Amino acid sequence: MNCEEIKNLIDAHLDSELDPVTSQKIERHLRDCGACEQRYKVEAAMAHAISRAAPYYKAPIGLRERIQLSLREATGAPSRSIEKAGPLPGKRQEAARRGVLFELQWKWLALAAAIVLAAIIVSTLPSRLRQPGGDQFLATQLIASHVRSLMADHLTDVASSDQHTVKPWLDAKLDFAAPVLDLSNDGFPLIGGRLDYLDNHSAAALVYQRRKHLINLFIWPTTPADSKGEATVRQGYHLLRWNDGDFTYWAVSDVNISDLQNFKQLFEQQKALR
Amino acid sequence: MAATLEAEYAFDAEDLRSGAKIVKFAVIPKQEEQSATQEHQLASFETMMLPHMDAAYNLARWLLRNEQDARDVVQEAYLRAFKSFGGFRGSNGRAWLLTIVRNTSYTLLKKNNAIDLTTTFDEEIHASGDELASPSAILEYEENAELIKNAMNELPAEFREILTLRHQEELSYQEIGDILKIPAGTVMSRLARARAKLRECLIGHISQEK
Repeated sequence: MNCEEIKNLIDAHLDSELDPVTSQKIERHLRDCGACEQRYKVEAAMAHAISRAAPYYKAPIGLRERIQLSLREATGAPSRSIEKAGPLPGKRQEAARRGVLFELQWKWLALAAAIVLAAIIVSTLPSRLRQPGGDQFLATQLIASHVRSLMADHLTDVASSDQHTVKPWLDAKLDFAAPVLDLSNDGFPLIGGRLDYLDNHSAAALVYQRRKHLINLFIWPTTPADSKGEATVRQGYHLLRWNDGDFTYWAVSDVNISDLQNFKQLFEQQKALR
Repeated sequence: MAATLEAEYAFDAEDLRSGAKIVKFAVIPKQEEQSATQEHQLASFETMMLPHMDAAYNLARWLLRNEQDARDVVQEAYLRAFKSFGGFRGSNGRAWLLTIVRNTSYTLLKKNNAIDLTTTFDEEIHASGDELASPSAILEYEENAELIKNAMNELPAEFREILTLRHQEELSYQEIGDILKIPAGTVMSRLARARAKLRECLIGHISQEK
């Protein structure tokens, strides 16, 4: 790649929008070319400046209640807890919009907000303590890989619905033998397999189809650091993790979570039959 | 299903006539069933959309540069979102909500005749002068929150929003393209221009400080 090509791709590279092969080519060029590296550093500094130093404005306390109140007004649904606090003034819609209501009822709202906040803290505390930042990072990596596989026309390295084609291909490339199962009878046909590199180790990525949606199933040998099982939603994607003692599995897709749970169950059942 | 459709229809018609008056379903039979449906819909709407309230507020806050307006816009956006929630079939609730927040913000910006709606940015500027700026000078200031905030606020709205969506919400080009209704290629070039312009503003601030 020459400097002109690099210049055109450098933004997409910075934004992690390129496929791994192109990204690697760019990184190689940046190592060798001081001028391009400088340009990249400045771009990256801008990106960091915004993501790290620019303020992220969190919704002010009371906004949630205001929204919920106005939704209930618009639908005419009873707002039980709010009505308990006493009759509301006329022209409630306008009042709520202007924030007058918020001021009149601020004590109640502040109390409610405090309760909600406490509940949120209590309910998320254990999971926060359990989850190191690495998990967040891994989830981001998994989604990025899933999205890239859909965008960059690099869905599969070996395209086959036959597990007996996909498995030997993966086994030859990896230092572990990932289970490859065909679930087409259950509505999740296998599309193929791909090599990936995640969380500092190689991973097998199996691609399954669910109606019009695709599921990436990432598999690698379980390490002591891998936690048990969990379902998360990030950027509109569902992530489902489990492990069976030998392997850690991450299923990533935009199908709904029940489909993904179903997929996991079927996969485990099939695997147990072997 | 029929009951749901009827309820939505009745809601819209009544809503048009009476402004935002509280709607009763008195004329339609199976009233209880319908309000139960609507309550259910409200509950699923809140479960899906309220977690994105910070993202919604942050975008509105950057676009409007004003706390009170941002609060009003987010509240209004949630109302609008709920009204069209029946038609929402996607899986990316955050992007969908942000689209509505953005549209609502622009409605207000236009009403207030905000002057910074479009870019008056001279395309030639960053092609010529920028090479002079020393990267180390910029790197030195990349953690200076106040400086970054002021520089960001000087940018036109379309740059503020795209920088927020990319670097704070970490959305992909595709998602940003969906929200801004532009192709992914345009997202890339607009982001590049936004970062270049931000750099320019930063250099301006830095040289003022010195």
